[in-house]
Amino acid sequence: MAAPMELSCWEGGWGLPSLHPESLTVLAYAKFSGAPVTVNSVNNSWRTLKGDLPVLVSEDIVISQPAKILNFLRKQKYNADYDLSAKQGADTLAYIALLEEKLLPALLHTFWIEAENYRSVTKPWFASRFAFPLSLYLPGKMSREALNRILLTKGGPPLYSLTEVEGQIYRDAKECLNLLSKRLGTSQFFFGDVPTTLDAFVFGFLAPIYKVCFPKVHLQVHLKQLLNLCRFCDDILTRYFRSTVSSHSPAGQDTADANLQKLTQLVNKESNLIEKMDDNLRKSPQHPPRKLTTLKLAAGGEESSPMSRLSP
Amino acid sequence: MSLVAEAFVTQLAAAEPWPENAALYQQLKEEQILLSDNASSLAVQAFLQMCNLPVRVICRANAEYMSPSGKVPFIHVGNQVVSELGPIVQFVKAKGHSLSDGLDEVQKAEMKAYMELVNNMLLTAELYLQWCDDVTVEEITHPRYGSPYPWPLNRILSYQKQWEVRRKMKAIGWAGKTLEQVLEDVDQCCHALSQRLGTQPYFFNKHPTELDALVFGHLFTILTTQLITDELSEKVKNYSNLTAFCRRIEQQYFEGHDKDSSAIAARSSKRPLLR
Repeated sequence: MAAPMELSCWEGGWGLPSLHPESLTVLAYAKFSGAPVTVNSVNNSWRTLKGDLPVLVSEDIVISQPAKILNFLRKQKYNADYDLSAKQGADTLAYIALLEEKLLPALLHTFWIEAENYRSVTKPWFASRFAFPLSLYLPGKMSREALNRILLTKGGPPLYSLTEVEGQIYRDAKECLNLLSKRLGTSQFFFGDVPTTLDAFVFGFLAPIYKVCFPKVHLQVHLKQLLNLCRFCDDILTRYFRSTVSSHSPAGQDTADANLQKLTQLVNKESNLIEKMDDNLRKSPQHPPRKLTTLKLAAGGEESSPMSRLSP
Repeated sequence: MSLVAEAFVTQLAAAEPWPENAALYQQLKEEQILLSDNASSLAVQAFLQMCNLPVRVICRANAEYMSPSGKVPFIHVGNQVVSELGPIVQFVKAKGHSLSDGLDEVQKAEMKAYMELVNNMLLTAELYLQWCDDVTVEEITHPRYGSPYPWPLNRILSYQKQWEVRRKMKAIGWAGKTLEQVLEDVDQCCHALSQRLGTQPYFFNKHPTELDALVFGHLFTILTTQLITDELSEKVKNYSNLTAFCRRIEQQYFEGHDKDSSAIAARSSKRPLLR
């Protein structure tokens, strides 16, 4: 019925289909409403220069902002809000405004302005997605835009200084998270059992904070204490984004543990192999036992015994 | 403000009761004040009326510069100065008066969300209309904003403010919107507010809260201010429960109070504008 639709958005990582909150929102809504959208991870076009992502292209129509994209999908009969009452629709708008005012500045700050986070995580990740000249220029531009936005909307006019605003925006963000948690309560989604536009927006804003591993993470720590919001994100990831989740390990901690486990297993295998070789050589009657340089990483006790047996 | 400073101020606030000579400062009512500032000021006045706290309205040409955060209105209570509705609500709460104590947690979350909706959409739309729509800027805003000052100061100040507001619009992505889109957003916001209000007298049924004060401030100002065209007020008039809501609050809290002539004068004289 509808023309094929193609969505261009930022790539993902850390178990998420995309790192960009607006792209995530649109992706989530497309999954909730069942819209057949082919996702195109963009990394090297002029659109990213203009900062216009996510972008939906359908036949000749090009639509760029999340709210407009969602409107377009609704007009194409992919409506996730079909069962909502009018009041719930109004609540949706209000909560989206709350997210944009209170949570978005802190999200931008964590990603783009917090010096350690920016230098060690955000900049390398975004820079690695672009070809050479853009990779030098674009992350800096996005960081400057984020700083501008925060200062102009939250900073007081005479001063425009960041330090005063930082405390305020994190406090607002934590309050916003608490409010969302209270609103969600114990239900699965914000309006019952079926996900809607509001769930898409909340997921889009929360998932990057929840999943991406930053050095400075006090917002993530606060979020992890709100168990129902974490459960909400995980539910959506496993139900709607399962294929991308299985290919990555969710958190840095788990990756480190998994790597450690693999290493230990490898070491054990090596030591078992070496012991077997030892035994075989001892048992064989023809050849005198050769000195083996054992590369054992196991306890020193094992090392000394074959050596002592080998000495003639 | 840092956490420590805020705690200190709250403690100071809690120490004294509300004095008789509390004052609210805004710009000059007849010649200078603009749509958005008038809306914010009316919201604070409505809130204080709802809390039954007396306050005098004082009009000064340099109110914006006197304010600690650069925004009007601000109140001068005892020896403290607090500006903008959010901090004023907290300040009043520290003194022991609150309108939203009876709400449960989910309702408080809703109230905050709707207040953000009004700030995000209505206030930004008002600012857009005042400072980014060229016709309105030329004919209404520039003459009014600098009116207390002599030439060339009046032009310099209004250009400076315009540049500041346009920067902010660009940062939040509203610079690319057309007037029709902005009016569309206002309509969406009013639709949401109308749906939420339904047939109740106030947003949280029986008693008014700061949300009612904020919505009243903005909607009443939009309804009673004469601009180049009536499109903005038409959008609000489409929702009869919202106009009834404004009328109800005006009658209950503003009629019979002589000192609060802003609401009544606005209604009767349609705020003579330089046209």
